[in-house]
Amino acid sequence: MTALVTFDKATLGYGRHVVLSDLSFEIPEGDFLGLVGPNGAGKTTVLRAILGSLEPMSGAVTVRPGLRFGYVPQRDSVENFPLRVIDVVLMGRYDRIGLGRRPSVEDKRRAMQALEHVGIAHLAGQQLSALSGGQKQRTLIARALVGEPNVLVLDEPTNGMDLVSTTSILSLVRDLHERDNLTVLMVSHALNEVANYVNRIALTLEGAFRIGHVDEIVNAGLLSSMYGIPVEVDAIHGHRIIVAKRGRVTGDIGTIPDRP
Amino acid sequence: MSDTLSTILLVREALYGALVIALACSVLGVYVVLRRIVFVGAALAQLSSAGIALALFLSGLGVGGELTHHPVNMALIVTIAGAMFFGLGGGGRRGVPPDAVIGVTYAVAAAAGILLIAKARAGEAHDIFLQGNILGITQFDTLVLLAVAVPVLLVHYVFYKEFLFVSFDRETARTLGYRVTFWNLLLYLTLGLVIAYAMQFAGVMLVFNFLVLPAVTGLLLSTSMRGIFLVAVASATLSAVLGFSLSVPFDLPSGPAIIAVSGALALLAWAWRRLSPRH
Repeated sequence: MTALVTFDKATLGYGRHVVLSDLSFEIPEGDFLGLVGPNGAGKTTVLRAILGSLEPMSGAVTVRPGLRFGYVPQRDSVENFPLRVIDVVLMGRYDRIGLGRRPSVEDKRRAMQALEHVGIAHLAGQQLSALSGGQKQRTLIARALVGEPNVLVLDEPTNGMDLVSTTSILSLVRDLHERDNLTVLMVSHALNEVANYVNRIALTLEGAFRIGHVDEIVNAGLLSSMYGIPVEVDAIHGHRIIVAKRGRVTGDIGTIPDRP
Repeated sequence: MSDTLSTILLVREALYGALVIALACSVLGVYVVLRRIVFVGAALAQLSSAGIALALFLSGLGVGGELTHHPVNMALIVTIAGAMFFGLGGGGRRGVPPDAVIGVTYAVAAAAGILLIAKARAGEAHDIFLQGNILGITQFDTLVLLAVAVPVLLVHYVFYKEFLFVSFDRETARTLGYRVTFWNLLLYLTLGLVIAYAMQFAGVMLVFNFLVLPAVTGLLLSTSMRGIFLVAVASATLSAVLGFSLSVPFDLPSGPAIIAVSGALALLAWAWRRLSPRH
């Protein structure tokens, strides 16, 4: 497997503030990587370095020439414009269409194809603002796919979703990875969700960074040591369940009293 | 009736000028409203008036030569500097919320304009900056307004796709290789240009009105970008024509009359939307 993205002793941060230091890892072609950690741990920093909008303070982040990212932002980060689903999906081809030119019939055909691929072709004429969270997320995934990317990058795709929508979106992403052999990078704070879908996990936590196969990362010893609290890992019908043990938890969030 | 008509014919150049301002401001206003930067429009209009006041003040002191002899030059410099400042984020990353920076700019520019006019030898009543002097627009002024508005509207027509993308979702636009800062600055630059020229004739209130109310009417009546632009332009031009026509027989100041019509149209649009079963 050839590496699409390579971090070589890269130190990332803003100004003089170092967020993560000395990162060395690769994202090979065909990978399904979950970038997991709590808010403020540096997930977005790593993501920005991969997407090229943040230069490393030292070391290097190398992206294979000609690589195209299909970026799916957090759905709350897009503005509330009066746009139809098809218009939003077409944006994924804007860079191919070129400056000052309008989408062609072929662009529209491809946009419809992308909507069919994510199962919402029937919503093409609907207003984006009228859709549910899950449908909106599928629209943004279709927009990323219509640009024919090498790597699909999703930023917190299940944030604020209920159980059904979460499962549906994660299954769709898993399908895209398996069916289309698409390299996927998924950023999330929800380790429980990501651990059951991805092949590898990169865990960021208060300056620490570990990357490996799901089985290497999702084990009680490593997670307890990284989170600083006792963590249990169980399985039900093949699904991994990660829980913090009940009891006294101290740290930034204060103290949770023992249950009676 | 014939008296009214002949009076309107007498001020038709002013009406043409107002229509150009209405057209340019209402198109840009769609972005101003959708991007939720309404008060950037107000602050830029106020900066423009402060620029005019500064030019009049310096001109009275015999300072600045050509730069202060034509107040629009100073208004342009100040407004475009302000537009660039807001286009680059408005200092919001230094711990002060962006809307507070806009508020500070608005208040300081308004006060500076009034103080400078009060002490300007070539002083004019400061309320001219609030109400404008739209009836004073000449054929030459209309041509100048057209020379600014046509290229700006052309840029917005040609690069509609680019302005839309960076306004709707800048992060994704950036990952697709769009120079987001450049397009943002270009949007703010066109906004600053139109405001600086329109402000001289229309005043702060009317420019602000044309930037906001027609776009709001468009948002209330339409569910597509094309529809919003069309309704905004139609609403702005109708307000200008009706406002002018009503201000003559009732002996009302034209600017506020136009704003009143804009407000009435927005109210009607809101009522229609409330009563419409599909909303």
